[in-house]
Amino acid sequence: MATDRLVDIFSLMAQYERDGANEGSLCMVAAEITELSGAGIALSPNKVDMTSMGASDEASTRLMDLEITLREGPCNDACGGEDAVEDTDLVNSDTLRWVFYTPQAIEIGARAVFGFPVRIGAVRLGALSLYRDKRGALTYEQASSGYLMASVIGRAILAMQAGASGGSLAAELEREATFDFAIHQAAGMLAVQGSTDVGEALVLLRAHAFATDTPISTLATKVIARQTSFNKENATWLEETG
Amino acid sequence: MTRESLLVATLVELADNLVENFDVIDVLTLLSDRCVEAVDVDAAGVMLKSPGGELQYLASSSDTMRVLELFQIQADEGPCVDCLRDGLAIVNRELVEPDERWPRFTPRARELGFQSVHCLPMRLRGQTIGALNLFRTELGFLDDEDVVVAQALADVATIAILQHQSSLAATTLNEQLNRALTSRIIIEQAKGMISESTGRNMDDAFAMLRAHSRNHNLGLTSVATSVVEGTLNAHDLDVPKTTPRH
Repeated sequence: MATDRLVDIFSLMAQYERDGANEGSLCMVAAEITELSGAGIALSPNKVDMTSMGASDEASTRLMDLEITLREGPCNDACGGEDAVEDTDLVNSDTLRWVFYTPQAIEIGARAVFGFPVRIGAVRLGALSLYRDKRGALTYEQASSGYLMASVIGRAILAMQAGASGGSLAAELEREATFDFAIHQAAGMLAVQGSTDVGEALVLLRAHAFATDTPISTLATKVIARQTSFNKENATWLEETG
Repeated sequence: MTRESLLVATLVELADNLVENFDVIDVLTLLSDRCVEAVDVDAAGVMLKSPGGELQYLASSSDTMRVLELFQIQADEGPCVDCLRDGLAIVNRELVEPDERWPRFTPRARELGFQSVHCLPMRLRGQTIGALNLFRTELGFLDDEDVVVAQALADVATIAILQHQSSLAATTLNEQLNRALTSRIIIEQAKGMISESTGRNMDDAFAMLRAHSRNHNLGLTSVATSVVEGTLNAHDLDVPKTTPRH
């Protein structure tokens, strides 16, 4: 069941999709839903290299470029960490953790920056980066929205890797629960069947759900019941019949 | 054991488990197990509100697929949803069909043999963060004293979630909730891998994770993470001496 805030996220996403979706639209939704100045999304599949998946505005694009070049900043920390990362007052920052990033981020116009890990269980996909042109901590509601948006982005990344068209992402994601134990168990099983990692297995599961026009939860249940399995030798799905 | 001594033993055991770096899913599973004994119910489980407001399953006294499905349905409807929305306990709700209020939940619960359901809110400073869900296979009602005990255990569950890794700096309620929810996903991912690698079912996979974490004094989530990340082979996990109940 999509709750109020999720409904807001999906309707905003759908609106951007109607206007001609591009990679920055998820970031624009993130900035709007958290009521911050801008947002960027970084992908970090191998935990070493970070690439940009889009940004909502000029400043966010430059902040992301900065993080990729310097290899430091909120997104870098969030990619490998457990919790959200923040510096709520860059100008008066008493921490020396981002010595190169902080002065240049201020120059770009950021006064407070936030990073939310984008992960699905143990699978790390990247991070959501947010900035504001005024200093100050996030309210409880803003932080909740940040975590929620990071989870939506995680599912969106998987859907795109599985070949979903950008124009129908909101509708695809809205159909499914944010947590379904069957999906995660099935991904674990498929990782072993396909000799791959759980992240790839989630993409595999999702791609097959698209290809067969089956809800991902239904497909996951069939995998657990061993009615469907993946054969890595020829990269095909096997259906148990009868 | 008398009711009082059972309850005291339960609280001491839980307190004993709330040590530094305890694993929140592990403690909540233990709490659910003890709930079944202390309140005389047949199944118990904890659901937590996610940042988006949806309910997510965290732990229960039975990790069987069918019971998990009963919690999964409650992302949409059921006693936990109502309890969270109103912030009020639901006690001695008989499960009778047809049930207009819970058209999906009630038939499934009855299929599993449950006759009545109870739900206690997990409250923190005026907001409800989750719910403790209790099921009974026989009618026979929880009295006021049972409800007091159940609510006390629900409060312990709240404390467990909030105290989880609170020794780390700058942890907020949002972070605590997010960590607990992520832990559950990691455990499900690991269960899938273990089940496929060893040919055992999901319940056994969970029992193996628990046994390994206890025997090696490692957190449940940390063991599950090692399995998912490939640094711990499913075949190297300890197998529990006694098989879990089904």
